[in-house]
Amino acid sequence: MSLLAELQRSFCDALRTSEPPDPALLDRLPNDGLALQRFQVYRNNFIVLNGDAVADMFPVIKRLVGDKAFRMLATAYVRKHPPMERILLLYGEAFPDFLQSIPELSGLPYLADVARLEFAWTAAYHAADAEALQVAQISGLDDSAFSSLRLTPHPSIQFLESEYPVYRIWETNQSEDHDEQVSLDEGPSRLIVIRPEMEVEVREVSTGELLFLKHLHASVTVGEAYERTVQVEPEFDLQAFFQRHLLDGTFCSL
Amino acid sequence: MDTINLSGRKPAPVPIRAGAGLKPQHYQSVIENQPDVGWFEIHPENYMGRGGPPLRYLERIRQDYPLSLHSVGTSLGSHMPLDMSHLKQLKILVDRFEPGLVSEHLSWSHGYEWFTHDLIPLVYTPESLQLMVDHIEQVQDFLQRQILIENPSTYLQFKESEIPEQVFYVEAAKRSGAGLLLDINNVFVSCENHGWSSEAYLADLPMELVGEIHLSGHSIQQLEGETLRIDDHGSPVCSEVWTLYQQFIARHGLAPTLIEWDNNIPEFPGLLQEVTAAQSLMDAVVNKEVKDVFVG
Repeated sequence: MSLLAELQRSFCDALRTSEPPDPALLDRLPNDGLALQRFQVYRNNFIVLNGDAVADMFPVIKRLVGDKAFRMLATAYVRKHPPMERILLLYGEAFPDFLQSIPELSGLPYLADVARLEFAWTAAYHAADAEALQVAQISGLDDSAFSSLRLTPHPSIQFLESEYPVYRIWETNQSEDHDEQVSLDEGPSRLIVIRPEMEVEVREVSTGELLFLKHLHASVTVGEAYERTVQVEPEFDLQAFFQRHLLDGTFCSL
Repeated sequence: MDTINLSGRKPAPVPIRAGAGLKPQHYQSVIENQPDVGWFEIHPENYMGRGGPPLRYLERIRQDYPLSLHSVGTSLGSHMPLDMSHLKQLKILVDRFEPGLVSEHLSWSHGYEWFTHDLIPLVYTPESLQLMVDHIEQVQDFLQRQILIENPSTYLQFKESEIPEQVFYVEAAKRSGAGLLLDINNVFVSCENHGWSSEAYLADLPMELVGEIHLSGHSIQQLEGETLRIDDHGSPVCSEVWTLYQQFIARHGLAPTLIEWDNNIPEFPGLLQEVTAAQSLMDAVVNKEVKDVFVG
């Protein structure tokens, strides 16, 4: 291995661990008594720069666990899941599962799902753009033609189901100054996260709506998606759904 | 016949004026208030999402201002080959936004499978000089344009280094045909951290290669009676750096000058104040030159 390759690898090894760096690495620095402190600046940068990227993505988790605990979690996350890409926009994708794996957080069983909602928000924010479905594209269709349409949800769409009221937890923690209590008895959440234009929207949907949208997302026709949905959720009201969501940016242009 | 530009936008060179790093917090303010800033700079890696608001805001702001792309993800000093998919993404942004300047760093960030996302110093040897030159040439060939290379802020150096940093820096640019993005705060931070002379570092730089100057704030860490200066872009430019800048442009001439502010980011007027301060120093050099012509 060349000097450069060997040096860069040993430097990276030492950045990632919390153990004291290899003395052989510090020996390569001028002996001014500050070798360790000089190296620590880089270790600290590695943890802080990447930890800040996680903090920016999960502001609600930060509020829920507190700044100090969040910093410890972010540090552990950066060490366990160092960035695998040159772009940090979606760094944090593994953070919800990571939170779920921490035994000390088992008293906050909703935490990982709140993190999933926050990541879904970021994923929708940076997702591809698409033209929205226009009324003129569907106004001339009869029932049978409409039924055989494949309506594609906007590429930013994210689906989330949780047995906890994560939407309410997320919503009441959007700012620091909240004193509202959310009871876990409020029950499960079914959400879509979508960004039709510039604003990310988090929408509560029914089981039927969620199912129907997932079928459409899997390129099933409107008619077939409806059939499959009512088998599971007989009350699903197709007409009410389309009245609200057909032309609100949920679907892409045909 | 003129070609028709469907975007209604001309490719704009970055003017010899003071500019600012563009932060998401300031998108609305910039669009609504059209501040008197010569140009803006972005990190292209922050615009490599598939779509979404950042790209749209940038489109809007690019209609009114020239732009510079200051890349942080290429890892030119890495022992590993350049990542062609990353260069392709960079090229897409270069083609879309037609920046006046494109730049990268004299450093590495990728030493393994994973990425540090920090700018880590090179060992200054002939081997790494050749590697830098090869990588800069590859990027320039791929983008079909010259890039500028920024000198790093460093907190450590390696005993194995055989070439003084500023010699290495200038050689890398000369051999590859790149320009210099001279970060005067980085010069000051590195020189103070290693006991080098900032004045000596700056004195020998060939001005004809300097295509851009960076200014920013740094913080001070006290360690067992010693001081380390940390380049955190989290405060106003310090007085020593303003003085070095003023002396440099008085002696060597002007280049587009950027204020970088990436942490503890103020409201836009706070950033604008720094941009205006840099512009005043640039104007003073121009006014003196004009006066010298008429009086002298």
